[in-house]
Amino acid sequence: MEELDLLKKAWQKDTHSFEQVSEMEIYKMLHKKSSSIVKWILIISVLEVLLWTAISVLFNTDDYLKKFHSEDLIVYFRVLNYFNYAVIVGFIYLFYKNYVKISTTDSTKNLMKDILRTRKTVQYYVWYNLGMITVSMLFGFAMAFFYNPDMSVLKDRIAHESGHKTLFITCGVLLLTTVVFVGLFWLFYKLLYGILLRKLNNNYKELKKIDL
Amino acid sequence: MSDSLEQIFVKQLKENQNIIHKICRLYTNGEDAHKDLFQEVTIQLWKAFPKFRGESKFSTWAYRVALNTAITLYRKSTRSISTVEFESRKHFISQEDYNHEEEEQIKLMYEAVQQLNDIEKALVFMYLEDKDYTEIAETLGITEVNARVKINRIKGKLKKILNP
Repeated sequence: MEELDLLKKAWQKDTHSFEQVSEMEIYKMLHKKSSSIVKWILIISVLEVLLWTAISVLFNTDDYLKKFHSEDLIVYFRVLNYFNYAVIVGFIYLFYKNYVKISTTDSTKNLMKDILRTRKTVQYYVWYNLGMITVSMLFGFAMAFFYNPDMSVLKDRIAHESGHKTLFITCGVLLLTTVVFVGLFWLFYKLLYGILLRKLNNNYKELKKIDL
Repeated sequence: MSDSLEQIFVKQLKENQNIIHKICRLYTNGEDAHKDLFQEVTIQLWKAFPKFRGESKFSTWAYRVALNTAITLYRKSTRSISTVEFESRKHFISQEDYNHEEEEQIKLMYEAVQQLNDIEKALVFMYLEDKDYTEIAETLGITEVNARVKINRIKGKLKKILNP
């Protein structure tokens, strides 16, 4: 292609059309803050981990259990809590491992893969927490249903009804609440990372297409 | 100790800055975005510099980091074409000793290249820099055969842009 080779010649000769940056300016640049997406992912990830860890620690079920005089269950929750801490530590290790792997001297494809993997780790952590909260919520409702005296009206109705209308409505409301709750988070993350990583995702797809 | 590393880096970067300017001009519109990307590339290069062993030339090492920064790390969108950028492109073309027709062809070609997507631009950049297919493939992380095929396709695409 003639025109491209013409451009190639001009391109290679082109060494003096740029305003040269002085050593002083380069020194100044070295001490400026980076605004790369890797940095944003790190900041957002640390905030997310702090937030979700705080939520899972503050989400203390002991008082709730005591209220319904089911202290025997507390020991199970203790175990669950330790399990939770182990997951947090494991997750932080994984995140750190993925994060330090990100290198701008790697090939473009590997760099993109590493960034996306780091981000995915955080996403899995968030899903894990959401899952735990959903399970706790459902469990909490079941506990309330069986132990909370306020629920006896509902229990009576379900027991004495010939059809299972009340039971279905109760389950339906529970299910709907869960779906809406999880759905809202899904939307939030879709938007947050969608905006942040739109360019990267597009370029990654484009790059993968070449090797198809 | 770190001072002298900084000095070496600054000196090397100053001497090799044109290749980074070329990438910045390819991926941004206008002077501000150009400077912004140049700064981000400088920061990324400095971060990676302690691991630079001098096995390859500084310029080879630097353009890889610069391309990765432009394609992957840099956040600002580079899609819209502004009038400011048009002026700077004119400047790029008119300083050489080409006849009017050739000058016009070069200008149109560069404008066509600007319309390509980020990955295609990277391929064209390395083609214009006369990099071999092994290096092109390695830089992007694709196979050599596919790099060759893709560059031929891009040539076709550019032809279409120029002669719709």
